[in-house]
Amino acid sequence: MNTTKHWPKRALILSRALSRAFSDTPSPTFPLKHVTRSNFDSALAELRSHVRAADFVAIDMEMTGVTSAPWRESFEFDRFDIRYLKVKDSAEKFAVLQFGVCPFRWDSLNQSFIAHPHNFFVFPRQEIPLDRTSYEFLCQTTSMDFLAKYQFDFNACINEGISYLSKGQEYEARKRLNSLNKDQLTNLSRDLRETTDLPLVRVADVLFTERMKKRLSEWRNELLQNGVGGPQDQGYPNDLNQQFRTVFFKMRPALSLNGFTSHQLSLIRMVTRNHFKDLAYVHCNGENTSEEFVVYTDSESDKDRLVEEVKNDYQRRAEMKINDAVGFRHVIDLLSSENKLIVGHNCILDIAHIHSKFLGPLPLTAEEFVSCVNKYFPRIIDTKILLNADYTLQRKMKKSSTSLSSAFSSLCPEIAYGSKRSVLSHEPCVKVEVHVGEMRSSNWNSGAKHEAGYDAFMTGCVFAQACSHLGIDFQLHSASETLCQNEKLQKHMNLLYLSWINGDIIDLRTGNRTEELLGSNILRKRFRPILFKNIVLLWGFPSRLKPSMIRDCICKTVGPTSVISIYRIDQTTVFVQFSKEELVSDFLNLKETLEQSNDAISVLHPLSQLLEGGNTHAASYETYKEICASPISKVLFADQAEAVGIKWKTELLPSSEESQENNSFHPESGAADTPDAFEKSKIRKKEDSSKQKLCDDIIDSFIKAEKIRRSTNL
Amino acid sequence: MVMLIRRRLFCTKIPPNSHPHKLQWSVKQVTKSNFNDSLQEFKSHLSSSDFVAVSLQNTGSFSASWNRVSSFDTPETAYLKARRAAERFQLLQFAICPFTISGSKVTAHPYNFHLFPRDELNIGMPSYSFSCQTSYLTAMARHGFDFNACIYDGVSYLSRAQELVAKVRMGNPIALNHIPTSSPPTVADTVFVERVKSRIKHWKKACTDSSSRKIDDTLIKSLRKLVSGGEQYGSRPCMTIDVCSERQVQLVSEMLREFSDDLVALKIPTKGGGTQAVRVVLTSSKEDRSLFERELQNVEEEQNKKLRGFREVIELISASQKPIVSHNTLNDFSVIHSKFIAPLPFNMDEFLHSSQSAFPHIFDVNHMMKEIGPLENVTSIPAAISYLKNRFFAPIEMELSHGAFSDASKIHGQTVVRICYLFAKLCSVLKITPGAIQSDDGNVTSLPGYANVLRSSSGSCEESLDGGIRIWTNSPRKVDCKDLVFLWGFRDRLSAGMLKSLLQGSHEVFSGEFDVCLIDKSCAVLVFLQPNLSQAFLDVMSSEGISGSLREFVSEGLRAADYETYKRACSLGLWETDLANSLDKASATPDQFSQRGPETKPSEIFWCKDLIINLDDL
Repeated sequence: MNTTKHWPKRALILSRALSRAFSDTPSPTFPLKHVTRSNFDSALAELRSHVRAADFVAIDMEMTGVTSAPWRESFEFDRFDIRYLKVKDSAEKFAVLQFGVCPFRWDSLNQSFIAHPHNFFVFPRQEIPLDRTSYEFLCQTTSMDFLAKYQFDFNACINEGISYLSKGQEYEARKRLNSLNKDQLTNLSRDLRETTDLPLVRVADVLFTERMKKRLSEWRNELLQNGVGGPQDQGYPNDLNQQFRTVFFKMRPALSLNGFTSHQLSLIRMVTRNHFKDLAYVHCNGENTSEEFVVYTDSESDKDRLVEEVKNDYQRRAEMKINDAVGFRHVIDLLSSENKLIVGHNCILDIAHIHSKFLGPLPLTAEEFVSCVNKYFPRIIDTKILLNADYTLQRKMKKSSTSLSSAFSSLCPEIAYGSKRSVLSHEPCVKVEVHVGEMRSSNWNSGAKHEAGYDAFMTGCVFAQACSHLGIDFQLHSASETLCQNEKLQKHMNLLYLSWINGDIIDLRTGNRTEELLGSNILRKRFRPILFKNIVLLWGFPSRLKPSMIRDCICKTVGPTSVISIYRIDQTTVFVQFSKEELVSDFLNLKETLEQSNDAISVLHPLSQLLEGGNTHAASYETYKEICASPISKVLFADQAEAVGIKWKTELLPSSEESQENNSFHPESGAADTPDAFEKSKIRKKEDSSKQKLCDDIIDSFIKAEKIRRSTNL
Repeated sequence: MVMLIRRRLFCTKIPPNSHPHKLQWSVKQVTKSNFNDSLQEFKSHLSSSDFVAVSLQNTGSFSASWNRVSSFDTPETAYLKARRAAERFQLLQFAICPFTISGSKVTAHPYNFHLFPRDELNIGMPSYSFSCQTSYLTAMARHGFDFNACIYDGVSYLSRAQELVAKVRMGNPIALNHIPTSSPPTVADTVFVERVKSRIKHWKKACTDSSSRKIDDTLIKSLRKLVSGGEQYGSRPCMTIDVCSERQVQLVSEMLREFSDDLVALKIPTKGGGTQAVRVVLTSSKEDRSLFERELQNVEEEQNKKLRGFREVIELISASQKPIVSHNTLNDFSVIHSKFIAPLPFNMDEFLHSSQSAFPHIFDVNHMMKEIGPLENVTSIPAAISYLKNRFFAPIEMELSHGAFSDASKIHGQTVVRICYLFAKLCSVLKITPGAIQSDDGNVTSLPGYANVLRSSSGSCEESLDGGIRIWTNSPRKVDCKDLVFLWGFRDRLSAGMLKSLLQGSHEVFSGEFDVCLIDKSCAVLVFLQPNLSQAFLDVMSSEGISGSLREFVSEGLRAADYETYKRACSLGLWETDLANSLDKASATPDQFSQRGPETKPSEIFWCKDLIINLDDL
């Protein structure tokens, strides 16, 4: 934590202190710009001009969690589509609490970048009641703990966080408010035109109506006597309890009604309607209050005008309310509309969050997601891709980890430590000057790691430094247009790691999946390509079985070399990768057969160890996808499978010729969460298979197992 | 570090005393830092009190409007809804107040425990994740809830069930108990035992030699240790023997027993629950051995305390067998059960049984209020208090251990004191002598309707934080669940009145008296006040011969289902946003729950015309 240890000499401290004393740069440890509800409007206006002038904008965010269950973490055995499903699940379930935006602009005069780090506190408040459902989000306890460790201010976030509406929600809200307004407006015109009388049954009502008629006509006469243009208050003594107050409403003299019950108000409304042609009853809905007026109009046309004006008022207020509720999405819209280069670090999840929170629900497939993102943000660069793809950068980083903080400290030591260490390496460092409000600093370090605004700043610095190492001259490429056109950058543009674990990269322009680029120094532990067709998903087996025991158990029955690998998902579930595709259906059939027969032979069968407890399920890889696609998240995979509604124990595959066809399309992948869909989609073993056949099968496999046992013993 | 401290200073302070008009009682706030001290204090307060009031603050209560417990729920469906909420949301504050009533004086000791489910052992417990309802958090924030205090310094906990799992997973050494071996040793066993024996012999000899020779040179000492392969367990020398099976553990333990009595064997468990190794610790004498064994025991107790965390408080209450007073028993105890005892069972009876065995005496003030006729629908505590204040003369004097009026930091957990107050007032109004409840050693029949308290609290609703009141204008009436029909697939934004008038003319079953009530925007519940009409209606809906405007509605998508379908939706966990979707799915699933034998559960509810009053949705 103590930064002094990075300064090589005491003298340096002294010289730094001296230089600071003589220069007018303030202390470099001022905090970055925190934006909450209270200062959002002004901050947005400021940010608008910064983004407009920027060459690129770095972003980062802090979420309430990453994985909704341990088995939703990224695995080596995840196929491309499953990886997207996992990202999708995370973005849908968790909330964004902080959003860091940091525009960078090249200042050619000073030969440095100017950064404006902003840290937005975001909280999905329900500002407009869209429907009766409540917003809900998940928190992962470890993530919350992590944020707490870095002193995240949860109170500021929940009390003062900026709310937002996605595009879809905004559309919905507009539709809803318009229809509400329509209702109100029809009420309004009814008030002004139609006459549906309340029956006056009670004496009190009759007396009250008469009194009101008298009051209103007195007030009207008063007005007419004094000239319509200017009613004089002293002419008509205001009520003691201020029930009537002469005011102006839309430039017309009016009576404001206060302290009446709603029944009384409707009587007044009726009186106005029936007895005064030139008075209009108007009901105004304010923020929390509603106001009632009786307004004097010159003529019928003036009355129509009044209706029109009131209508427009409603409309305007509604628009404003929605505009306010859109809140933080204005920032996202700004980034999109300004068409700037967006820079993030390992940012697929960030982008997915942006999509689900601010655009609309995430699509079912990665391809759709990518094309949607590409339309909204046509230029995205992931610094993690950049750092891993380029050999020169790898060398510069001295092969250190490409996590954001270590990349920052190895590429930008001057900023990270405020030292001049890099002078020794004769490498010019890109200078970054930070502006926060009136504060300026060229070696700023707020030190607040894992604060979205600061992380965005680090990302931007890493990007700038990486560009300079790649030989991009900012002087030439001062406009962001040309920076993006640079061919050295182009080849890294719009590529994101779908999953860092596997080095799977997705191209946002095409949706194509690419392997990690050559030149990457990451030596990944790739055994051999995983054949998903050869995989069986196994869950619910006795908990004491270790993966190695499961392997033995299966090898004993299917063949000593049949299992290539066992991959543990969690304590209840493993993937078994077979050497051949046929073995998958062989295994599933054998399991089913064993479970159906209930005699002594099957109890002695080596596989029965695995089936003990009667809760062992097996299925092909496609079932894994279905389970991942479900919105449910139970902590254990076995519970999840049950919650998703899997009732069968073994998924039997059609014979291999058919399965070839089936693999080309997956009809059931869409409607994954209806329980009956599963039942139908699985081919049930025909019950008519004779008992004899079962026995034969088991004995066959027994003989096989015995052979294997002998051969391995030898 | 400096940075972090500075940053902490920037953190928002909660505005003090956001409700100056309300009477504020001083409540002791407990976080990680003062938990151990407060625990001792709490213990003595608990033992000197007659009752314990509890009140919980969760991160949410229901995801969709129909998921809240409502008056059309039977106890069973109410439990399923409470279970869903308890599993989904997180408990952040647990206010507990041991109190004593003597005459008109209440002596209360309120504590407010801040909780946070910290995964301290890195094993995904007590909870991997939890859900938050934004409106709930916003409302809490409005009331000055300090989230930072909770998340930074909240006390963690493990449930009874989780503690058992955690002990195995932590892999702490466990003292080895000797179990006689069942089968005669094989050759391999003998070889193994001999090998271990000789190793131990050498090691022990080396240890005793070096200690007798009293070499002061630490360098030589550590070198020797390195050579002999010995390790230290605390201040005592020890040696680790790797084992491959439980059988070998037995063999080692047997061998050690014969070998020497100054050796203590400890089992080092694996994460899966097996044994990884046996650690042999050398003690210098018999006294030292018993000292060491005591030490081990203390360590284990300390460890258990750490694991339990806040649950220690729950265990104290449970062990004290004191009557617990709560405002919303069903919801509170489903949360308590799921967080501190074990996952909630599927079946309501199991839940009741399990809860009652941990907490035998439970009072629901809500339930008690029902004893006073018109009060039965006043569900918020402040409303109930002011109601009682206006109607009855029953002065209650509150005496709090932490002072009467408080400074701003102690305002959280007021509700629990109000519950004490309300309970005392109710006792006084209902002429219940609190002493009598206590005296007949646990026999609490003196309180009318007590036995059923968890069961009958179903009809009650959440107390809103704003203190909203639900006033039901029509008196509720008993309705058999068979007479209820759920209806969905009608036009959006149709009011109950419009729906009723549409239905009235559509078929003759609607010529009798019936009620319509909207549950959410997509679904309504019909109640037929004459028997058998509901079945007639359902038959019409599914018959070919449907005609008239009803046929028109059905072709536009109108659907109907009986109460069983609704129950099934709840028990299958089909908690969709719209009840209509859940019912659609439930009707599509084959009925597998009704086959469990004849229905013994009460299947009557209290029907009331204004079934759902629009509380501002929290």
